[in-house]
Amino acid sequence: MCGIIGCVGRGDETLDVLVEGLSKLEYRGYDSAGVALSDGQIDVNVVKRAGELDALREALSEQSVSGRVGIGHTRWSTHGPPTDENAHPHTDCTGSVAVVHNGIIENYDDLREELETSGHEFRSDTDTEVVPHLVEEKLAAGAPPEAAFRAAVERLSGSFALVCVVASEEAVFAARQDSPLVLGVGDDSYYLGSDVPAFLAHTDRVVYLDDGEFATLRPSGWTVRNGDDERVEKSVETVDWNVEDTGKSGYDHYMLKEIHEQPRALRQCLSGRVDERRGEVTLSELEGLETPSAVHLVACGTSYHAALYGVQLFHSLGIPAQAFLASEYATGVPPLGDSLVVGITQSGETADTLSALREARARGARTLAVTNVVGSTAARECDYALYIRAGPEIGVAATKTFSSQLVSLNLLVEYLAGDQRSSEERRAVLQTLRDLPGRVQQVLDESMAEEVAAEYLGADGYFFIGRGLNYPVALEGALKFKEITYEHAEGFAAGELKHGTLALVTENTPVFAVVTGEDAPAKKTLGNVREVESRGAPVIAVTDDDQIERYADASLRVPSGSARVAPVLVNVQLQLVAYWVANALGRSIDKPRNLAKSVTVE
Amino acid sequence: MSIQSAVVLAAGEGRRLRPLTRNRPKPMLPAATRPIIEHVFDALLSAGVTDLHVVVGYKRQRVQNHFGPTYDGVSVTYHVQEKPLGSGHALLQAADGVGEEFLVVNGDQVVDPQLVQNVVDAHDGRSGDEQDETAATLCVVESERASRYGSVRLDGDRVVELVEQPLEGHYRLVNAGVYAFTDAIFETIRETPTVDGTTPLPDAIARLVESDTSVRGVQSEGYWTDATYPWDLLAATRRLLADGTNVFRSSNQRINGHQTETRTDAGVRRRRNGVWVAPGARVHENATLQAPVVVAADCEIGPGAVVGPNVAVGQNATVGPNAVVVDSIVDEDTRIGANSTVVDCVTGQAVWLGPSCVVTGGPADVRVDTQIHEGKRLGAVVGDRVHAEGDVSFAPGTLVGSNATLRTGTVVSGLLAPKSEVVR
Repeated sequence: MCGIIGCVGRGDETLDVLVEGLSKLEYRGYDSAGVALSDGQIDVNVVKRAGELDALREALSEQSVSGRVGIGHTRWSTHGPPTDENAHPHTDCTGSVAVVHNGIIENYDDLREELETSGHEFRSDTDTEVVPHLVEEKLAAGAPPEAAFRAAVERLSGSFALVCVVASEEAVFAARQDSPLVLGVGDDSYYLGSDVPAFLAHTDRVVYLDDGEFATLRPSGWTVRNGDDERVEKSVETVDWNVEDTGKSGYDHYMLKEIHEQPRALRQCLSGRVDERRGEVTLSELEGLETPSAVHLVACGTSYHAALYGVQLFHSLGIPAQAFLASEYATGVPPLGDSLVVGITQSGETADTLSALREARARGARTLAVTNVVGSTAARECDYALYIRAGPEIGVAATKTFSSQLVSLNLLVEYLAGDQRSSEERRAVLQTLRDLPGRVQQVLDESMAEEVAAEYLGADGYFFIGRGLNYPVALEGALKFKEITYEHAEGFAAGELKHGTLALVTENTPVFAVVTGEDAPAKKTLGNVREVESRGAPVIAVTDDDQIERYADASLRVPSGSARVAPVLVNVQLQLVAYWVANALGRSIDKPRNLAKSVTVE
Repeated sequence: MSIQSAVVLAAGEGRRLRPLTRNRPKPMLPAATRPIIEHVFDALLSAGVTDLHVVVGYKRQRVQNHFGPTYDGVSVTYHVQEKPLGSGHALLQAADGVGEEFLVVNGDQVVDPQLVQNVVDAHDGRSGDEQDETAATLCVVESERASRYGSVRLDGDRVVELVEQPLEGHYRLVNAGVYAFTDAIFETIRETPTVDGTTPLPDAIARLVESDTSVRGVQSEGYWTDATYPWDLLAATRRLLADGTNVFRSSNQRINGHQTETRTDAGVRRRRNGVWVAPGARVHENATLQAPVVVAADCEIGPGAVVGPNVAVGQNATVGPNAVVVDSIVDEDTRIGANSTVVDCVTGQAVWLGPSCVVTGGPADVRVDTQIHEGKRLGAVVGDRVHAEGDVSFAPGTLVGSNATLRTGTVVSGLLAPKSEVVR
């Protein structure tokens, strides 16, 4: 999804209005953003950057950009590189026309060829760029700006919401065909947005443009004309819309929405990558990557827990692997040997992880980024990038992206396993992975986490224990819990309890025990459960086994099946527990205190 | 000015569609491979609606998850009906979100876009005087089973009687659940006496009719089917596949030449006449797809399998080698094991049918609530996450509750409770 904003009549505040509008379209996601301002006389200033909005803000802080009218754009893609060149707005050869666009121009090839033949130079790979050049042609032929824009749009076929500024007039021109575009009417100012929240801070009076209509915004007022260039009387409606709620789709918080999106996110992660019948994994972006002799996984926070899980998957293949906190790794890189260095970062911009990857690269290591953002710094700088395809995640606490990281690591390991796995073995793994979205849906449908959360509010502290593949999930369960509830929580390897931590366990410290499967580790964990019970602590079993429920004060069930994906299911229950406790405590769930979504400083 | 806003009523459970509605509301059940409500959205968008409102209630996360904040670029606003107090009460929940004039459509029926367009045209085409006095325009369709629904009598284009499930009298016109209202309807709903604590929307309209306020009826020739019983889902699927129009989503979100979202539920591609296969589905070269049939993204169809006619295979489903699937809906994440035969069947999501299971198909006498429906074309309804180990036979008309476990070699019939376990 892309976002558009346009603004007329705000004088020196224009730039601020544009950037703020872009931030309101945040829920649409980002991989690049840009603005263009016109002073209405001789100049159009364009600033655009790949990356999050902060990259644009930084670029803007380094140069003085001004103008009395302007347009802005954000873009989020899972396909194709977000580069500075491909970011909007796009300009013509003279730099006096700037355009932003949502949609697709279907006859772009023909137009581009025609324009190049007549001497226009293109700087991007986008279809959008034909528009400013078409406007330039018409202006050169003597048309006034409004007519030039109109004539250019008439050449286009396809779907679009287009917004344009030119150097020579203090105005914004817009056209709509099969893509959303809304006009906002303020007292002496006028706005355009692909969605109302873009300008809702300035006015709640809106005009919904219809397909085939053109809008012109000047400081003196606005007009809408139809395809026959006749003026259209549009009604101005007042919207009753809460900015904060936009994009939450009826949920109270982005976090809960994103927890519920996990079945879909996992489907996207797997889509087109697994062939269960043949027992094959296809990861086209990793073509040429050979099975490594050893692996270092570097990451921070939640991603580090995914790394700990990944380590065990590599071990199952007989490949030595270690997980490192990225900040520590960058401080003192361990001997690399012939290791592949895998950086796991949702945003692809985590400064600590980038720094660790750079250190490894400088020492000659091959690097691979596992990330959610196409074209992010990590993806660009590494030799390979594996995309987890979770879609935009707005809540600061990572939820669906962690699940997608775990599944992506499964794909990575199966992909690299080569002949070490028989196709029969791999088929069993792929069957499990393909069944996973449905099982996550089952957890969501049947979870009792809200009830459990209500039962154990107000305790002195919360402990999470697990063993083997469930150990990283115990750590993640505790991290999620402290991030959003602000209560004390710690995760431990189940076997470590008796080596110290048991001293903290009391009647008022609930213990979430993650026990899945019926193998030896599960039986040992059961022993640890008895240890804490004998100290009087309430035990909440997160389990797929009826037997274990007998030892526990409460239980959160997950579907039984493969031990390998059980952590994904368990984690959904722990996400929900953290959410419902935080909700009961009235915490700022989507934006916990002191935390940022993407930590771009070391 | 044409109507911009629409309210879709999607809060109801759909008791008569149990066990399929155990985990999702009726509007989210599949007609072909897409939820019923998506067909409603398409019809509204094609009539020019730019502002969608959905009243959600029972298992509302399923609706909210599926659509998110927008549908094909149109904003979707959710209104919550906390308790099932009737369709009129549901509509009241959206009162603050819509303007003076708006459309209302039941979210649990498959409607041809023509029905919506007919209502919009009739509503917009009113003369000045009529505008002042017409409070509602509703769509009626002809049905031989009119007495099963809300029945309507017309005098010209005026509705003179609206009666729910009349026990006697001859009716041939049905209220299709597609309306245009002015905001006066909200006051009428508030004034309408409740029945067992609920306020059905048709009661409020009947009140308008009785009070001599003009309620206009517009008869449409478009396709309409209400999904009341499980076999209705199969009929709707047959119809949609025969029609071939609404099998896949009309438009993808494509921006700057790149698909911006990997929408794996969308983009089913036509392969040949009457056979639609989504990109990313894997159909073995030795499998046979018999038209009409639709196979959604990420499915695997094994060698020797015969799928179709009249089959919709939902996303990420698997049909094993040499399995035969005819006249059925196979919902998301479901697995049909090798050598199984499945006829006239509706599966829920993530159902596991092991090898050599047999659903022989209708006709059957099916018990729903207290009523027996005779001679229905229904092989079986298999609830979400039912696990049939293998070699399980389903007698015609069997309804299996969700999460049931059917052990190897069992024969099941009638109604099985959720989570039940059947052993030999």
